[in-house]
Amino acid sequence: MEQQPPVAEHGAQVKVTFTTTEVDIQLPEGKRQLLVPADIRRYGLSRILNSESMLDTDSIPFDFLVNGSFLHTSLEDYLKSNGLSLESNITLQYVRSLIPPVYEASFEHDDWVSAVDVLSASSPAGLWSGDAFQSCQDRILSASYDGLLRIWNASGHVIATSPSGSHGGHTASIKAAKFLSSTQLASAGMDRTVRVWKYSEHSGGDQVFGELKPTVELYGHAGSIDSLEVDGASKRILTASADGAVGFWSASKASAPEPDASLLPGAHTSKRRKVSSSVTTAQRGPLSMMNIHTAPATAGVFDPRDRTVAYSVSQDHTVRTIDLTTSIVVSTLTTSHPLLSLCAIPRGSAPLLAAGTSARHITLVDPRASATTTSVMTLRGHTNKVVSLAASPDNEYSLVSGAHDGTCRVWDLRSVRPATKDEGLGSVSEPVYVIDRESRQGKKKTAAGEGCKVFGVAWDKLGIFSGGEDKKIQINRGKDVTL
Amino acid sequence: MAPKIAEKKRKVEAPDPESDDELAGRLDGVLSQSEDDSDYIFSDDDQDQDDQSESGSEGTDGDDDEEILSDDIPSDVDGEEAMGKLLIHDAEEELEIDEPGVDPKPKNVVEEETNYRVEKDANGGERYVYNEIEPGYDSDDSDAQGPENTIGDIPLTFYDSYPHIGYDINGKKIMRPAAGDALQNLLDSIEVPKGWTGLTDINTGNPLNLTEEELELVRRVQMGMVPDELHDPYPDTVEYFTSVEEKMPLSAAPEPKRRFLPSKIEAKQVMKLVRAIREGRILPYKPPEEREREEEEKDEVHFDLWQNEEAQDANPMHIPAPKLPPPGYDMSYNPPEEYLPTKEEREAWEALDPDEREKEYLPQKYGALRKVPAWGELVKERFERCMDLYLAPRIRKNRLNIDPNSLLPKLPSPSELKPFPTVCQTVFRGHEGRVRSIAVDPSGTAVATGGDDGTIRVWELLTGRQVWSVKLSSDEPVNAVRWRPNKDSFILAAATGEDIFLMVPSHASVTPTLDQASRDTLAAGFGYATNGQQQPTAVGKEPAAKWARPGTKLEDEGVLIRITVRSTVKVINWHRRGDHFATVSPSGQRSSVAIHTLSKHLTQIPFRKLSGLAQTAAFHPSRPLFFVATQRTIRCYDLQKLELMKVVQPGAKWISSFDIHPAGDNLIVGSYDKRLLWHDLDLSNRPYKTMRFHSEAIRTVKFHRGGLPLFADASDDGTLQIFHGRVPNDQLENPTIVPVKMLKGHKVVAKLGVLDIDWHPREPWCVSAGADGTARLWM
Repeated sequence: MEQQPPVAEHGAQVKVTFTTTEVDIQLPEGKRQLLVPADIRRYGLSRILNSESMLDTDSIPFDFLVNGSFLHTSLEDYLKSNGLSLESNITLQYVRSLIPPVYEASFEHDDWVSAVDVLSASSPAGLWSGDAFQSCQDRILSASYDGLLRIWNASGHVIATSPSGSHGGHTASIKAAKFLSSTQLASAGMDRTVRVWKYSEHSGGDQVFGELKPTVELYGHAGSIDSLEVDGASKRILTASADGAVGFWSASKASAPEPDASLLPGAHTSKRRKVSSSVTTAQRGPLSMMNIHTAPATAGVFDPRDRTVAYSVSQDHTVRTIDLTTSIVVSTLTTSHPLLSLCAIPRGSAPLLAAGTSARHITLVDPRASATTTSVMTLRGHTNKVVSLAASPDNEYSLVSGAHDGTCRVWDLRSVRPATKDEGLGSVSEPVYVIDRESRQGKKKTAAGEGCKVFGVAWDKLGIFSGGEDKKIQINRGKDVTL
Repeated sequence: MAPKIAEKKRKVEAPDPESDDELAGRLDGVLSQSEDDSDYIFSDDDQDQDDQSESGSEGTDGDDDEEILSDDIPSDVDGEEAMGKLLIHDAEEELEIDEPGVDPKPKNVVEEETNYRVEKDANGGERYVYNEIEPGYDSDDSDAQGPENTIGDIPLTFYDSYPHIGYDINGKKIMRPAAGDALQNLLDSIEVPKGWTGLTDINTGNPLNLTEEELELVRRVQMGMVPDELHDPYPDTVEYFTSVEEKMPLSAAPEPKRRFLPSKIEAKQVMKLVRAIREGRILPYKPPEEREREEEEKDEVHFDLWQNEEAQDANPMHIPAPKLPPPGYDMSYNPPEEYLPTKEEREAWEALDPDEREKEYLPQKYGALRKVPAWGELVKERFERCMDLYLAPRIRKNRLNIDPNSLLPKLPSPSELKPFPTVCQTVFRGHEGRVRSIAVDPSGTAVATGGDDGTIRVWELLTGRQVWSVKLSSDEPVNAVRWRPNKDSFILAAATGEDIFLMVPSHASVTPTLDQASRDTLAAGFGYATNGQQQPTAVGKEPAAKWARPGTKLEDEGVLIRITVRSTVKVINWHRRGDHFATVSPSGQRSSVAIHTLSKHLTQIPFRKLSGLAQTAAFHPSRPLFFVATQRTIRCYDLQKLELMKVVQPGAKWISSFDIHPAGDNLIVGSYDKRLLWHDLDLSNRPYKTMRFHSEAIRTVKFHRGGLPLFADASDDGTLQIFHGRVPNDQLENPTIVPVKMLKGHKVVAKLGVLDIDWHPREPWCVSAGADGTARLWM
């Protein structure tokens, strides 16, 4: 205690105890208790923790959890609002703080942007491509309702655009697209097909030109494909479609089986306008097509650790765990609302599943059979359907969600409060940051998020990328402005 | 007496000069009285005259009186010395008195030592001879009288011839005082001195003069007043019983009891009087003529009509007559100008029949109140008022003392009835003009809308993305769009004008198989049509409808069949199996309701005659029943037996739409007169429940078909209302109907709000078509 950092001479002091659950930033036993000025805020506490006498770290921004919720005010105000005296000992759990995402840029499109993916050194695709990924080759993939894929460089220039429907591209809106690796990507959309593209780049002068060539067309779904998940290591693709089926595909021409002929576009073209494609692409079928949902399946994800396990959600209110090797549903969890989006947050032995619902909230589901409750936590704050989710690339406790209300919200699962009676049972969390559409800035919010719906969101170390009805990819990035 | 004393004092004072200075101021007043003395001296002279003049006129009585009064006459007997001593004494006393608080008595004691003289008695011994006591004012000695004539009751005139007038007590002659000469007497008689009486003192023979006091005394006696001058006949009243509280009571004795008892004697006396008055022995005074008149009146006979009337309580049902309204400005004799009728108004008023006139009078202006004539209609008006009151049946309404809240039915709170749609989550924008009809496809992923711009658009449900559209007509609005309720096909029926179109809206997500199956379904009937199956049914008549291909341009878009009927089709409703659909064209007289068979391309008109304008028609969700709504009634027909099963009378003036509960036993009806009615078909023909929650006409009502106990209505006031309507399995229980949510968002355009609604096949989501050009998804 003799090394106590200087405090203001005047004003009251509060005795705090610092705790943390993070192993690498543990304080030594003797330093955990401290007297701090009562009017100190998060920033001051963070500086104290970073000081030489304490952790001796270089500027890790910390947030402080008091009784499960983040400290937004000064300690004094917190004590006052909770009716505590200044003498009481406060236990402050310090956690690495989430950096507020600051608006960085917007990339303009011709039509609604349905999905975004990022290729960077830290993104899954970058990791999967291994050595083939060159540094500074950060690319952003966007799928649009005009049926085109676009690849952008970090400065907002289109490097490559996929061919149109008559040239081997999608014949309808693309709903989902993902990088498999730095040279391969997959997309799926309302034309019921999954297309695997080969992406190549060559530089001419100081500019980089890319090219997207369709390699495989995958047929199997009988409805619009709303979601696509890839595993770059095994080149497997997982899709969820409005026909209630979850498809498991191989991205390589060789390993994919032949498709069902009835689903091919030329099957019954006798009286129908034929969209003739000038490019012939290999047509393949699914490794397995699992008709497991009674209502449109809306999303499917791989287990982050075990790639033979997948999870899917559907409008029939269920989360299903699928063993991909046998194509059998292992377990079914039923929630109370139609589920529209899904992401897996890696955590311990089994991931935590976050499922966005049409009832404007996000349900956190523990898919383990041993779990006692279906819903672990509810994230409330959106005002419209939650259609896109992405886990943080950095940690295991935060995620971002995109919803039709025109906002992306960043959630921190460490901040929890018990639910009120209206909200049902369980625990509830509220968003840490709300990212509005930059295109709507200063304008009145429209009813039902009209004109600013967010359709896709991706979170990479580069930032939070979101695409929506305003025909833009919006990039928000946490800047290292705060300590 | 006082002047006399003063006189003596003067005499004594002269040889006592040393006290002169001290007494000078004080004796002035005494000296001023000395005139009396001189008068007195003069009067001595007058005595004889008086006697003389009196001799004839005055009796001896007066002399007697004089004697009594003459107390004051001093005696000359006392020695000068003794008198002087005494007088000095007196003067000293008087001086002493001037100093208050000093008791003069001790001095008197000292003086008394010298109040005797020592003489030698016969034996030569000392003998104290006391001074004779001068009977002064304070003396008790009344024996010492002045010189008194002892002649008794003999008139003085007997002594007129003698020089004396009588004898004193010692027998010595009392000499007549020297009388003045005649001139003096004359002068005296002319100038009457003060106190002159004209009498002679019988004791001295001098004229008897009276002093002022004596005269006053005589006067008072004569006036019959109390002789004492000090007596006050009018003393101030001493008020015993005043508000001023005395410090001490007059008497400490308690009030005797008798003071509190009413006097028996008085009571007796009063009763005596009372009895006398009662018996008529004492009569109040009346003038005799009045009394006479009364006597006469007594004889006349009067009948008291109200003699036997008893006071009655007010009837409990009595209602006071209603008050007339207070007069307004127009009833004034001098109303403001704006109340005066113009010439046209006056003519119009006069032209009206008196019974039809709104007012009984015309406002008139008079310059002054005195110029106002009598109201000619007064008697008539009073009479009519009385007739009104007499003829008008006035009934007392008993106010019920019931808590209004207790009358409300116990309804579960909406929060317990979740899920139901609460907010608008997607807006489908694209139609120009009104969106007239909306339908969600059987799989729940697509929404079809038809609008005033003649287009049909198919949208992705969740995102609001338009995926397909076709323009059916450039001038006619699309009045109805309905999906074929089968999942094995993707067929949409739409009505625009007199045409019904069947189409396959094959957007990209529709698989070729489904697309082909739908096309095959539609095309299957052409074989029947070419086989001429329809012709025999309509021999000699125009066929009910014409089934045809709409042309290559529309066929490329997916519109495959056009059915043309005789009049504008407003409603399409599919049979649950998807082979039949019913259309209603309210303006088509006989052929207003038509049932179309898809597989045979056949149109039948089931009703040759309908009582009323057909509004809408629907198939029963499970049984072979067909419901047709006209403006006032809904008729239920059995399609197998071809007979009328039931007539439902909702009591609405103009039914706009109805929907049958998926279980088939209940019916909701919406009407243009703002009412939503719930019918239990098994229960009664009359509505089970009537709900008036909308401020404008209800356009559409719809049950949820996916197993949720929900229904909704859409109104021209721009709102949708969501109801929880649970139909219990037990037939004995009544359905629970709870309004749970009012959805606002559609704008009212040209008095039209929400024109159509539909439910999602599974979820508690509903879509609505608005006159503001948008369709909305609520969830």
